[in-house]
Amino acid sequence: MIQLSYLDYLAVEGKSFLHRLSAGWKIIGLLLALAGVVILRNIFGLLLLYVLLLILFFTCRLPLRIFSLTLYPLIFAILFIFVSGFQVHFILLVFLKVLSGSTGVVLLLGTTPYPSIFVVLDKFLPSIFVTALFLTYRSIFILLKVLEETQHALHLRGGFQWSHPARSLSNISNAFGHLIIKGIDASEKMYESMVLRGFKNKIHYRGE
Amino acid sequence: MSHIHLPDGILPVWLWVSGFIVAMLIGFILFRFTNKEALAKKLPLLGMMAAAMILGASVEIVPIAYHVNLTAISGILLGPSLIFMATLVVNIILALFGHGGITVIGLNTLTLSIEGICGYLFFRFFWKVLKRLTPASFIATFFALFLSTFSMIGVVGLGVSHYEELIHKDEGHGIFEFKLLKEKGDHHGEDKEKSEANFKRFIAIVLPLGLLGWILEGIITTLIMRYIHRLRPDLLGL
Repeated sequence: MIQLSYLDYLAVEGKSFLHRLSAGWKIIGLLLALAGVVILRNIFGLLLLYVLLLILFFTCRLPLRIFSLTLYPLIFAILFIFVSGFQVHFILLVFLKVLSGSTGVVLLLGTTPYPSIFVVLDKFLPSIFVTALFLTYRSIFILLKVLEETQHALHLRGGFQWSHPARSLSNISNAFGHLIIKGIDASEKMYESMVLRGFKNKIHYRGE
Repeated sequence: MSHIHLPDGILPVWLWVSGFIVAMLIGFILFRFTNKEALAKKLPLLGMMAAAMILGASVEIVPIAYHVNLTAISGILLGPSLIFMATLVVNIILALFGHGGITVIGLNTLTLSIEGICGYLFFRFFWKVLKRLTPASFIATFFALFLSTFSMIGVVGLGVSHYEELIHKDEGHGIFEFKLLKEKGDHHGEDKEKSEANFKRFIAIVLPLGLLGWILEGIITTLIMRYIHRLRPDLLGL
């Protein structure tokens, strides 16, 4: 989540053919990749899909730092190793499904500025819902900034230490409490400024 | 803990499609009967709480693959109708970052909403009964997580036969569908036993971790509630 702003930077500054492709086509492409992930049940087919996505990833010249994001969902897939009773075929199948899905999504987010994605979504979903989605996305950046400041304060108070679980829990909870209160204060200010700029249940994107 | 971390393509199609349909139906009903003006006013707050839930979910405690949801506290602050929309938004954004599959968004919204709505209702109830913030917050969060974890287990349990099909696909059942079907018929009882054994294994992994998670999140939510009560008691509406 910390790399979200970097992902946005790449989406805006990138010059590859995928960056130039319209957001609508890229969303259709992602949906096709997801359909493949859902339908395909053999390792060869999934491997082919994953390799295709990897080729797209590297031809777009997205940095390796972003590639690590595609590996993150594997943390949750580890559970399947135990659930399946160490069935190699099943584990490979799950891992390939996970990696294909996450690579497709990172490709979309790394090559498409988020307002362009919301413009497409606004055509199919209720505008109030898309507004909520947009505000949540914006709020993540605001909270990340608050979190960055809070981290210093947290560090000065001992931060998180396995040797002091009670104090660590208290520190983390205070940090989250601080985050929530600051967040709510910021949301109230944001709403006031939105109303001043003419907000009426819908955000208008550039070009509309 | 109640967030279903299954990737795309693992749950049977009928299950995740049903999840989407039910979630859309509930969303439509809530949207129809909610005051649009009041909803618009609360959108920035909804966005901010949803963002806090996303940040909470991204802080992973690696050895036990646990993360806080903050859904119960968000439910208490947002109320039952807004928390549904917030969980839908949270699940869409989390799914985009590989935190549960995109096809699982509907089911995840339903299970997380149970947590948020129960958190709100239990907190109001225990606050009325106990009149003390700490036990009311802890008990409400603990039971809300308890219920939503069991609803998650129920959802996963509905797809057991499908997972077995995926797990045992390579065990020499042949290439042709005819042979596959015949084999299936011969070993139906054996397959069912295997399914039950694997599902029991899943429950055996999830429940102890769940118990740890319920206690941990209960403590964290309680401490956050106390912090908020100290600085902004108006937010709790007590």
